[in-house]
Amino acid sequence: MTGVAGTFLGGATSRLLPASIPFRYFGAAVAFHVAAWVALIQGADAMPRFAGGLGWPLAALHLTTLGVLAMSAIGASLQLLPVATRQPVAAARWPAAIWWIYTPGVAVAAAGMGTGIIALLAAGGGAIVVALIVYAIVLARNLIGAKGMPAVVAHGWAAFASLVVVLATAASLVGTYVGAPGLARGPALALHIPVAAYGFMGMLALGLSYILVPMFALSPAPADRWALASLALAVAALLLAAAAAFGVATQPLRIAAIAAGSAAVVVHLRLMTAALATGLRRELGRSFRLVRIAWACLIASLPVALAVALDVPFDGTTALFGLVVIGGWLLTFLLGILQRIVPFLASMHAVRGARGEKRRPPTPSSLTAERPLAVHFACHLAALALLAFAIVGDSAAAARAGALVGTAGAVAFAAFFAIALRRMAGPASAAPAA
Amino acid sequence: MMTESMMPSHSPLTDGPFAQWRRWTDGDGLHIDVRGLAPPGPIVAIIELIESIEISTPVIVHHERDPTMLYPELSELGWTAARIDGEPGEVRLRLERSP
Repeated sequence: MTGVAGTFLGGATSRLLPASIPFRYFGAAVAFHVAAWVALIQGADAMPRFAGGLGWPLAALHLTTLGVLAMSAIGASLQLLPVATRQPVAAARWPAAIWWIYTPGVAVAAAGMGTGIIALLAAGGGAIVVALIVYAIVLARNLIGAKGMPAVVAHGWAAFASLVVVLATAASLVGTYVGAPGLARGPALALHIPVAAYGFMGMLALGLSYILVPMFALSPAPADRWALASLALAVAALLLAAAAAFGVATQPLRIAAIAAGSAAVVVHLRLMTAALATGLRRELGRSFRLVRIAWACLIASLPVALAVALDVPFDGTTALFGLVVIGGWLLTFLLGILQRIVPFLASMHAVRGARGEKRRPPTPSSLTAERPLAVHFACHLAALALLAFAIVGDSAAAARAGALVGTAGAVAFAAFFAIALRRMAGPASAAPAA
Repeated sequence: MMTESMMPSHSPLTDGPFAQWRRWTDGDGLHIDVRGLAPPGPIVAIIELIESIEISTPVIVHHERDPTMLYPELSELGWTAARIDGEPGEVRLRLERSP
């Protein structure tokens, strides 16, 4: 008989990457989270009427999308997709290599966006494109020949296809600044925004939810046919939005895209709420209060998108759309999930100490520092509310206050992460004899 | 809209989704065979079983792979796992309450 520690990692090594892989992605995301709010303090004056263009609001946006959301999505997908596909990631060196190219790339590109130094933007953007191409290859290799969870795998393919479009449009947009554009800026931007938010990051968020939400709620996996129906509607929405980007019947196509997207969201959220309602674990705490708020923002993003499509005469529509989609839905969802998944993964990996000795794993709850999370919860929601007020009232002061409060929340979240890592590495009881 | 097939009608604690999932009793404890269930079905079936038993009976799990994500849940509930010999291609675990 093998002891508990042996059981933990005995066969797990075939699918579980070393702890250093997911945690380096999550750690970088936590650091970029702080940096994004700090960049927004710097760009607070322009934030309420931000609608694109170089400057600190653009840097804050991409520190969030690339630095926090995509960074975490890469780490989480590399750790969790093998559970769904039932086959391991080919080799740990590729995820590590992606991180080493991607992380400095995001930092340099964001610095270029903020300062307006095109050379930095081009260098950072180039590194990001290279890293994400390698990630796309690793993702596709894991999805090819997947043996289980067809809905999760199909969402992975939708994210992969979206990533290809996002990379092409991002390269084109960076190209406009260095004098080598591919697509015209208008269509490139009209493709880039919905496909990056709802396509690449959205499809990973929705697809991984079919693993994560039932796992934390302890409920059966949602029915594949409904998850696939939701995906089909979401893909139809993305295709309609993509067609609209090229200027033919733009408004009707965008309205149709929002209608299809709304139907996709309704089906997805019915599956999620059914999983939560029927799970063995009913009380999921603060983390799932954030997840529920994120879902509300996902719903709210659709009428705001409609306002953008209908050219509602309000100067802050674009900024409001970005806030609701990126801050309200994706970032809030991610932070809710991260505060559950970090202690959970730390517990899975902590069974082997730094010197490889076997020991009894700490419980996820013992790795969770509640006070920093409580501070983060209050600050994050207050920051979002202040930013919404800033956009509606065109108030730079409210934007600056929101960014300051958001920074405080991000620092609190970083404290939670650091404490989890310290407790994970700390002494634990020895494993019992088999 | 499609609510019947999306919302199970039973209470998971008393009549859970996996309450009858291939369970039997043998001399060495309560057995549960979770092979063939899609994730997170095996974890749910196992947690459902161990939360339903009040006596300190070991639980023998028959699985097709190492259930790595089960262990944090077990640890939270005060249970330990140990791998024991099983059939070829099977991962068999013995779960017990921590002393």
